[in-house]
Amino acid sequence: MAVVSKKSDNGQMSIALSGRVDSTNSPQVKEQIEECLQDFSGGPLVIDADDLEYLSSAGLRILLQLRKKYADLRVINVNSEVYEIFDMTGFTQMMTIEKAYRVVSIEGCEVIGQGANGTVYRIDRDNVVKVYNDADALDDIQHEREVAKQALILGIPTAISYDVVRVGDSYGSVFELLDAKSFSKILSNEPEKLDWCVDEYVRLLKKIHGTLVPEGTLPDMKETVDKWVSFMKDYLPETYYEKLKALTDGVPHDDHMIHGDYHTKNIELTGDEVLLIDMDTLAVGHPVFELASMYNSFLGFSEYNHEAIKKFQGFDYELSQKFWNKVLRKYLGTEDEARIRDVEDKARIVGYTRMIRRSIRRGGLETQDGKAEIDLWMGELKELLDRVDTLTFESEELEIEADIENLPEVMSFIEKRLEKTDCSLKDINQISVAAEEIFSNISHYAYAPETGAAYIRVETSEDPITVTLTFMDGGMPYDPLSKEDPDVALSADEREIGGLGIFLVKNIMDDIEYKYENGKNILILKKEIQK
Amino acid sequence: MKIDKVPEGTKLTINVSGRLDTTTAPQLDEELKASIDGIESLIMDLDELEYISSAGLRVLLYAQKVMNKQGEMIVRNANEQIMEIFEVTGFSDILTIK
Repeated sequence: MAVVSKKSDNGQMSIALSGRVDSTNSPQVKEQIEECLQDFSGGPLVIDADDLEYLSSAGLRILLQLRKKYADLRVINVNSEVYEIFDMTGFTQMMTIEKAYRVVSIEGCEVIGQGANGTVYRIDRDNVVKVYNDADALDDIQHEREVAKQALILGIPTAISYDVVRVGDSYGSVFELLDAKSFSKILSNEPEKLDWCVDEYVRLLKKIHGTLVPEGTLPDMKETVDKWVSFMKDYLPETYYEKLKALTDGVPHDDHMIHGDYHTKNIELTGDEVLLIDMDTLAVGHPVFELASMYNSFLGFSEYNHEAIKKFQGFDYELSQKFWNKVLRKYLGTEDEARIRDVEDKARIVGYTRMIRRSIRRGGLETQDGKAEIDLWMGELKELLDRVDTLTFESEELEIEADIENLPEVMSFIEKRLEKTDCSLKDINQISVAAEEIFSNISHYAYAPETGAAYIRVETSEDPITVTLTFMDGGMPYDPLSKEDPDVALSADEREIGGLGIFLVKNIMDDIEYKYENGKNILILKKEIQK
Repeated sequence: MKIDKVPEGTKLTINVSGRLDTTTAPQLDEELKASIDGIESLIMDLDELEYISSAGLRVLLYAQKVMNKQGEMIVRNANEQIMEIFEVTGFSDILTIK
């Protein structure tokens, strides 16, 4: 026997069906539904099938008639037997039919992680569930599943949830339990692995930032940052607000991926694979936005109270500071302290803006500590706004597959950096010829017949202006300087075709040094620029 | 890179514009091999050439070697940057540059 009951909420009508609906009771069911809809003037109509056990073709016909009358009809909480009936009869293509979410209980389950938007429980030997704090998290969950899938397709190692379940009044995503350790745990318990963590952490970060995302696949981080900035209008003096807005407006659109919450709890080591998790903040944008959130995680949030980091990451402020500095150095590929601080300042501007907004929205101004913390951040932000003129920066090191197809990218990387110096067009041209030669050699021979990574760094110093190009590869040891110079005095007929390249490089550059260190060929080329 | 060929009997003018580097040099090499037969005067017009690397030089050297046997080759309108590269490699002595 079927039971029909109704519930209306905010203009949405919900009708619950329970038991069996077949030819013996379908006329009554139909009548009862019509009664429920007597005062319903249209709008979203939901059939809740949570307790529905069976539906025959007579029952299906009732739904079909309802669908004709009410375009916005959804059937929800359908159990798997009933869902199969809908699926076989083609109803799943005619109307929105949502499967019931498996119900999972977390009573007595071990908590294995806690983040900003949810808690992770271990539900059995092989599975964990991430339960979202927000009861309306279904959209967020779908979003995270979708972007994680996109990231995986684009080559970013990540874990993907395989099921969405109901947990009490909320929802959760189920993941396979990985035998994994977060980088926060490694840093806390095995401090001797600090440098290894820095290397792996930066390697993955560079991979993310080097990933070009097809347009429209991921949200644009700049839009989020714009919201943070407009919030500040009421809290910053006008000139400071205008400066902040001009700075963020000046950050160009960037289609490369950023994670958005790249701290060490979201990087996990499983076996020898480094995995990125917590993908809900995945976006596209300029890396300065990423560095901003990294700065906040490692330093910003605990600047007022240094103890705060311990609770969040498990390690202390001192280690966090050390880690951040090493990461920034490695990420930017420079030892130049002034440049590192310069990029950090850019990141801090965006970072403080975000933290101040977040804290004020959570009632930070209403407590003494909260207010003191906001004052501290405000002071730093204003001081930075007084002296920082752009938020953009470029990395001095390019990591790229040693493939001759990548030559245009290498050339544009080098040229862009040289154009910022006092180099003449002639100098840029000559240095390019030398760089092409070296990159083409690495592409053709270093890893042949396989392929591998090449690293290119451009550094310049003043008085006299000196350009230093560094090429690194992990291929076969090879010293290009060992090659004998061709005799340039010979006529065309006597000259061999080839062997010219490295000779050309030697002539263009003033100083060339080759070394083989830690399994890498390192070639350092210097040229002094005459004014 | 763009290659533009102007044949006039046994005379052939090739205008090369853009960048002559590792990725584009094989193209010029092919074009030359396909059309150099029977040519007695080869003019390489580099007026719009912006960049040349050793891969490009290799192709010029090849053409010079062939033309030494069957006629002459003249390089003309090379800009200052290209000339610099010819100088450091000694190419300014083996090519006929006008």
